[in-house]
Amino acid sequence: MTLTVRQARIIARICWTVALLVVAVPFVFPFLWMVSSGFKSATEIFGQPSLIPRVWRWQNYLEVFEYQPFARQYFNSLYIAVAVTGLTLVISSLAGYALARMRFAGAGLLMLFLLSALMVPEEVTIIPNFFLIRWMGLMDTHAPLILLPVFGSHGVMATFLMRQYFLAIPKELEEAGKMDGLSPFGIWWRIALPMSRPALAAVSIITFLFSWNLFLEPLVFISSLEKFTLPLALSNFTDSYGLPLWHLQLAATSLAVVPILIVYLIAQRQIIESFALSGVKG
Amino acid sequence: MADALTEKGSARSWRAPRLTLRQREAIEAWLFVSPTVAGFLLFFLGPLAAVVYFSLTEWNLLTQQATFVGVKNYVDALSHNPDFWHVLRNSFVFAMGLVPLNMALALSLALALSRPFRGVIFFRTVFFAPVVTSAVAWAIVWRFLLQGEGGAVNQMLALVGIDGPNWLREPDWAMVAVIVTRVIKMVGLNMILYIAALQAIPRDYEAAARLEGASNWQIFRMVIWPLLAPTTLVIFVITMIGSFKVFDHIYLMTGGGPENGTLVLAFYIYEQGFKFFNVGYASALAMIMFVIVLVLTVVQMTLRRRDMQ
Amino acid sequence: MTSLTLRNIKKSFGATQVIKGVDLEIADGEFVVFVGPSGCGKSTLLRMIAGLEDITEGEIYIGERKVNDVQAAQRGVAMVFQSYALYPHLTVRDNMAFGLKVRKVPASERERRVREAAASLKLEALLDRYPRELSGGQRQRVAIGRAIVGNPQVFLFDEPLSNLDAELRVHMRSEIAALHQRLENTMIYVTHDQIEAMTLADRIVVLREGVIEQVGTPRELYESPANLFVAQFIGSPRMNVLPARAVAGRLAARGLNIGAAEGVGMRPEHISLTAPESGLLRGRVALSEYTGAATLLHVELEEGETALVIANGPAVPANGQEVGLEIAREHLHVFDKAGRAIRPLVQAA
Ligand SMILES: Nc1ncnc2c1ncn2[C@@H]1O[C@H](COP(=O)(O)OP(=O)(O)OP(=O)(O)O)[C@@H](O)[C@H]1O
Ligand SMILES: [Mg+2]
Repeated sequence: MTLTVRQARIIARICWTVALLVVAVPFVFPFLWMVSSGFKSATEIFGQPSLIPRVWRWQNYLEVFEYQPFARQYFNSLYIAVAVTGLTLVISSLAGYALARMRFAGAGLLMLFLLSALMVPEEVTIIPNFFLIRWMGLMDTHAPLILLPVFGSHGVMATFLMRQYFLAIPKELEEAGKMDGLSPFGIWWRIALPMSRPALAAVSIITFLFSWNLFLEPLVFISSLEKFTLPLALSNFTDSYGLPLWHLQLAATSLAVVPILIVYLIAQRQIIESFALSGVKG
Repeated sequence: MADALTEKGSARSWRAPRLTLRQREAIEAWLFVSPTVAGFLLFFLGPLAAVVYFSLTEWNLLTQQATFVGVKNYVDALSHNPDFWHVLRNSFVFAMGLVPLNMALALSLALALSRPFRGVIFFRTVFFAPVVTSAVAWAIVWRFLLQGEGGAVNQMLALVGIDGPNWLREPDWAMVAVIVTRVIKMVGLNMILYIAALQAIPRDYEAAARLEGASNWQIFRMVIWPLLAPTTLVIFVITMIGSFKVFDHIYLMTGGGPENGTLVLAFYIYEQGFKFFNVGYASALAMIMFVIVLVLTVVQMTLRRRDMQ
Repeated sequence: MTSLTLRNIKKSFGATQVIKGVDLEIADGEFVVFVGPSGCGKSTLLRMIAGLEDITEGEIYIGERKVNDVQAAQRGVAMVFQSYALYPHLTVRDNMAFGLKVRKVPASERERRVREAAASLKLEALLDRYPRELSGGQRQRVAIGRAIVGNPQVFLFDEPLSNLDAELRVHMRSEIAALHQRLENTMIYVTHDQIEAMTLADRIVVLREGVIEQVGTPRELYESPANLFVAQFIGSPRMNVLPARAVAGRLAARGLNIGAAEGVGMRPEHISLTAPESGLLRGRVALSEYTGAATLLHVELEEGETALVIANGPAVPANGQEVGLEIAREHLHVFDKAGRAIRPLVQAA
């Protein structure tokens, strides 16, 4: 039997799709398993594997909040991420604007320094930062969780992203603003920023997620339960032997991950583009 | 008639000492960058200098005093402490396993998903989803799935007659497990970078090659792959650096074990610094990490510059 | 009184000097056009006047006030940019009112001025649109409107028409001319379209590589260019310049001695055709280009040079035909070795 070109194409298409579906399994499966196991009892978790729980244990989700101040921890993550995002937006867009558009002695050197900071992992400076934060009396507060990301390599990345975007705004627009009597601050606020919404959105998205997912800094700086952020809290569902309380841990993880995933599914295009934008810069 | 353009000008002209426009711009620019500069000095440059200094000292836990010991910490790491070479080896094994796997998978997925077809958005969304998920959550779930007995992965393998190992309890398998799960977590990022690069390649090139009778593979080898070279370089370096910084993933999946089989540099620094309070030694390790990252960056920049010429 | 004075203006970008000492007086209400080849520094000079580019050396006065270190917005100048530079996130109304708002002009006054400007530029119907919803010509008018509302003392235009198609360009050109007549403001206008320059200018400033080659009325530049560069830059098609040795003998035969001249210039439109043996020059038609209004003849001279001639009459010589070229002596331009025009043009022998 010979196939027409059209049939051959359809068959190829089907093969491709099946192959992609197979590859997709380890990407999707963990999420499904996580949610389903969050509804299982501690014993069922180790029984026969089944994606649908035999008994839906809703009380897992209550126990999560009883085991530790999970609501408070959730809120901590939320407000810290908002603060980090807000500060990063302001600070990185200010610096990014100056680096894109203004001439000043030391600009080249500053660029070089910032560029080097872009590459250096937090692990390199975390030890002195620990002493610095302790000296500032900010141990076990949320201040380092806000300050370090804003001024660390992530903030620098945001600065470069903004700079790149500002560079693409026609210079004449800003000059028109200057002729119209705007101060540099006015140009930044009333011309450059309104025209950079895509970049601001990208910075917001990746910064929020960066802060939301931050682990090393909370681990080092935070010690009291009610000051934990989500990642720290999630890692903390253990019994007295230090073994994980899987049903609670997975229920809590679902609570932390699912809202993000829902937002991601709604705005996937925008979110993926934001990462593409930042990745190209990095 | 009131003259809008000058009425304010004359009011201002006698105020404030006269600066040249150049000076004024420079001052304003420094105001703009001052928060960044202050933060940079305080939380980056200062600490970086401190790390250099710390790495030359030994820390006394009781008195909280630092004693200058020269390069002793480096000597310790490089020649006395067998852990160090073990850790470095682990880090390299991790990188050597992760980077090629990640890039090959990213490129394959990008090639499959760079053209529109029905379902393409679905697949992109799926492959990218782990990227937005926190590393902690990802590690927790995979640790759960990879348990030796009763773990979902092994139970599924059992269905096809494979007796899976106790993934996270055997050093070699643990390394494989952390590499593969990390690739699944991060590959979406490189995938979209490749997709962006592929979509930026004008279709005419491919059409021209096809008219000359080139096969798909030849088109890839001779047209697409060379045009992707700059992207490949960037991806290679950021993935490489990323693999040297991996911390939370290891911390939660294996805790560096078993038998230190997955003890990698970033984790080792954390352990030495914050668990054993070997501040000097940990700082020396941090410096070594810094140098590795620096070398990678410089290599990238030189290659990229050569590329542009 | 808003005259403008540039005194020994210099500008360097890094090590390269792009403006090399410009002196210029512009009278109140004058329409001055800067022309010159691409990259000669027209925009740079204009932007220095606007305050968008700092001044490396020299002084700029607007009226009596030295403005070197006065900020752009306080110089009393308004600028119309080549790309119009309309704020894409603001409506036409807000674009025009923006500068007034920044200067804290009260809302009612703002509204009045915007309406006035909009009326004079026929923009009333467009006030609530965004720039992307306008045609090129409309954007151009908005850009001008934005400049008008601030009542500037000096208008600066940087190639404002170069993004428009030919027809619209002609139309806007006349609108700008009308605007100047109505407002009687000082205007400085950059272009490299010499028709624009000739038609609009009270005086033209010809720049080359950061230096003024000549300043004068359009007629002065056309009739008595100061040097070879200006002679060839102004006028289209450009002036024929023949080496003196090629024509000296023939001129001498007519009693014209061009002395130490190196080149002799003749505008194509001043050359007339005669019988081959009676002309000043003699050659053969190598190519003729019919443009409708006239025919451009490329005439290969006996001496080996090529001269361009505009033939107006209906009887145009065919390709290959021998022709004689004639020119009135007052239309001869003579240049010395350095390219400077020699005047009086031609002495009787
Ligand atoms: N910001 C700058 N940095 C360095 N060189 C510049 C800068 N702006 C202009 N130049 C240079 O200065 C010279 C004059 O530029 P300018 O824009 O004034 O030319 P122009 O006469 O307006 O040309 P055009 O007709 O093409 O607009 C050019 O050689 C240009 O390359
Ligand atoms: Mg120009």
